[in-house]
Amino acid sequence: MSVSNDQDIPASGAAGLAGVAAREATGGGRRVRRFSADLSAVGEPALWAFGGALALGIILISGFLFMIAWNGMTTFWPKPIEQVELRDGTVLAGVATRGGPYRVGEDVLLTLDDAQRAEIEGELGIASRTLYKTANFDLYGDDFRWVSDFEVASLSQPDDFWYFERQVWGVFIGRIAGLTVGGEPREMDRALLAREHTAARERFAQMRRLEQREIGAINHRIERERLAQRRAVLRHGEGSPQSQAAIEAAQASIAELQAEFQTLQAQVNEIRATDRQYRIQMEEVGGRVVDIELSQIVRLFPSNDLSLGQKIGIYFSRWWEFISTEPREANTQGGVLPAIFGTVAMTLLMVVFVAPFGVITALYLREYAKQGRITSLVRISVNNLAGVPSIVYGVFGLGFFAYTMGGSIDQLFYAENLPNPTFGKGGILWASLTLALLTVPVVIVATEEALSAVPRSMREGSLACGASKWQTIRYIVLPKAMPGIMTGMILAMARGAGEVAPLMLVGVVKLAPALPIDGFYPFVHLDRSFMHLGFHIFDVGFQSRNSEAGKPMVFVTTLLLLALIVTMNATAIIIRNRLKRKYADGQF
Amino acid sequence: MTDTATIDAAQGYEPTANHYKTSDQGVALDIQNFNLWYGDKQALFDNTLPVQKGLVTALIGPSGCGKSTLLRSLNRMNDLVDGLRISGKVLVDGFDIYNKGVDVIALRKRMGMVFQKPNPFAMSIYDNVTYPLRVDGVTKKSILDETVERSLRSAALWDEAKDRLHDSALGLSGGQQQRLCIARGIASDPEVLLMDEPCSALDPIATAKIEELIGQLAGAYTIVMVTHSMSQAARVSHNTAFMYLGRLIEYGETTTIFTNPKQARTNDYVTGRFG
Ligand SMILES: Nc1ncnc2c1ncn2[C@@H]1O[C@H](COP(=O)(O)OP(=O)(O)OP(=O)(O)O)[C@@H](O)[C@H]1O
Ligand SMILES: [Mg+2]
Repeated sequence: MSVSNDQDIPASGAAGLAGVAAREATGGGRRVRRFSADLSAVGEPALWAFGGALALGIILISGFLFMIAWNGMTTFWPKPIEQVELRDGTVLAGVATRGGPYRVGEDVLLTLDDAQRAEIEGELGIASRTLYKTANFDLYGDDFRWVSDFEVASLSQPDDFWYFERQVWGVFIGRIAGLTVGGEPREMDRALLAREHTAARERFAQMRRLEQREIGAINHRIERERLAQRRAVLRHGEGSPQSQAAIEAAQASIAELQAEFQTLQAQVNEIRATDRQYRIQMEEVGGRVVDIELSQIVRLFPSNDLSLGQKIGIYFSRWWEFISTEPREANTQGGVLPAIFGTVAMTLLMVVFVAPFGVITALYLREYAKQGRITSLVRISVNNLAGVPSIVYGVFGLGFFAYTMGGSIDQLFYAENLPNPTFGKGGILWASLTLALLTVPVVIVATEEALSAVPRSMREGSLACGASKWQTIRYIVLPKAMPGIMTGMILAMARGAGEVAPLMLVGVVKLAPALPIDGFYPFVHLDRSFMHLGFHIFDVGFQSRNSEAGKPMVFVTTLLLLALIVTMNATAIIIRNRLKRKYADGQF
Repeated sequence: MTDTATIDAAQGYEPTANHYKTSDQGVALDIQNFNLWYGDKQALFDNTLPVQKGLVTALIGPSGCGKSTLLRSLNRMNDLVDGLRISGKVLVDGFDIYNKGVDVIALRKRMGMVFQKPNPFAMSIYDNVTYPLRVDGVTKKSILDETVERSLRSAALWDEAKDRLHDSALGLSGGQQQRLCIARGIASDPEVLLMDEPCSALDPIATAKIEELIGQLAGAYTIVMVTHSMSQAARVSHNTAFMYLGRLIEYGETTTIFTNPKQARTNDYVTGRFG
């Protein structure tokens, strides 16, 4: 047994170490010393696989980002309007949006003449087509139309076509048939049109302000009086002298407010009457004319007759409209300001909740709790929370935060509003709490790592100075762990800002009537539902009546959401690096 | 290795030989029959060591013999270690510091400590030195300023640091960091200074300065110092305790320990025959 071992071991050892070279050496007689090993031993194939996987990952991610960036960046560039004459005599005008080959149906082929049919059959039944945005939804009942190449008789880009972005009904594409200025019909004149359009938009903004801000404020006060009245009745009982007095006081101020309301309404009506005198007559390609107030047009320009400078101007004015105004037309037009605001407000509020909660939990787990089976169990459970589908958090948020906690708050503090819930429904407070719950494992794990990375010698140094445990944590451990904790916050923020599913249950809406922060007491309304860029993408892209019209908005909104998250993260990273530099170890 | 009974038998050990110099101020730390276990492993065996007030006591012995462990037992730094067990007493002014209800924080405030490796905090030099005062609630700027200067001067760091008091302490060199830790250790004027190889990271000049400092502090402070340098122990300490495998082999006046030890083991060690 031991003899055979002695013979075996050197042989197999040599073969294993020097591979082929060993065999050559014994066979060839000449001693060759080669210090090379098997390919598999060096690990080259594994390296190739890792490299390949990395490259694939980078390609996928950069391709994805490029698609979003490209589509997002080009959406607002003004594109030419094409007038298309079809063989059957119809004429249409529109903006080419996309196109590609398709298989022509049998029934269509039958309607074509022989030469064309032969040509398509030569291409194996494939022809190409283009999707035109013909707009004029109010006239055509649709915004888009597919046109196959073989249908087209001629294409042109007439200079006198204009692109009108309207306040309602979306885009109109057509010529200008005439203007009405102060009730008088006038010849079309670009300078006059530009001047009158600016004036009309100012009137529009003024009406908006009166209607939304001033009349809104009065409505708000009337509502407050009404609630005060109900509160008095609830507190003192129906028919009691106190409630009687409260009702009378409320009625008096309501009457006063209503008088104010009447004056404002009269003002608005006056402006509106003037506004009706300034109109534009737009003629679509088929000759039908639409006559609307100039103030109803957000932006208008002759697409085929623009200088580069004008195009750039339109591009940026569209971007500005996008990030600074409210949405129109079921979110497919206009801006996303409320959604930006909602996303940022909710994310920041989430950080406000998740930061102390996560850090305190981690502090307790790492520094105070007795390390043992129970702490391990808690730790494992926390880590596994990350695997719970986020919609489940949404259900929990709705059931526990909104219905249970919010319902109780309503019973206690907002009884006069019932049966209308105040906090007993989805709202920005509950949404951010739900997301805080969703992201708290990330913060806990990161904080625990950061805490345990603080060298023991530093803690001992502090304790030896006579510091208490809390002083040591407060002055030594936490500052040192801060960069790591910030990393956790950054991850949590990115996760939270991009989350949509749970939000749909706890407070995100398609269109929020009011922002969570406004000029009315108490200024911050945490009970309000809000808009969110992530949900906006879902809504515009997949829930709207006109998804083709919403598609470009999907990319723009995604781009914006990404930019927003990057900005928030970059800010956090800058803060973290500043902290890191402050506590950086010097060289010895 | 840890089967010391056989070693004792083989080497013919006597019980601890004591011929130490006594202080007229009495005993600062009276270590009595002190045993310590890290989990199941016993690290200190029945140590009895009356540390004299106002004198410098050096702890010497081969690596791993328990010098740091003993030193850390004096201000209860070992409390942080899980599964630690002790028996015996350490008396300060007649009170056992391991008694239930002893205020550990107050105890540590009476003792400054300098660790084997420099461990400055991630804050400015100024904040590092004033840390023991600030955790004690001192906020008055004049006191803090005065403390910083006095401590840094004592630790031979003032000239190098006076222009960068508000820079991060982590920007200092290793030796400077150690002197900063010494300054921190004496900032709150402790009664006892515990030093664990304070000069292991220092160059000869800085070492000389620290030794000078120790010489100045002796008398006012009680100093317990672990050192691997026999010559340092000989230069600065009044009494020397030799430890081996967790046992206190011999405790005596430094000159005696180095010239005429009672134990063969001690003799072997101080003459460099093992260790
Ligand atoms: N936290 C701990 N847990 C378990 N064992 C420990 C711990 N700290 C020290 N020990 C053990 O206790 C013994 C004494 O260690 P100690 O650090 O006191 O030695 P030392 O004399 O200071 O050595 P050195 O001169 O190398 O610093 C060693 O065997 C060491 O392995
Ligand atoms: Mg040691």
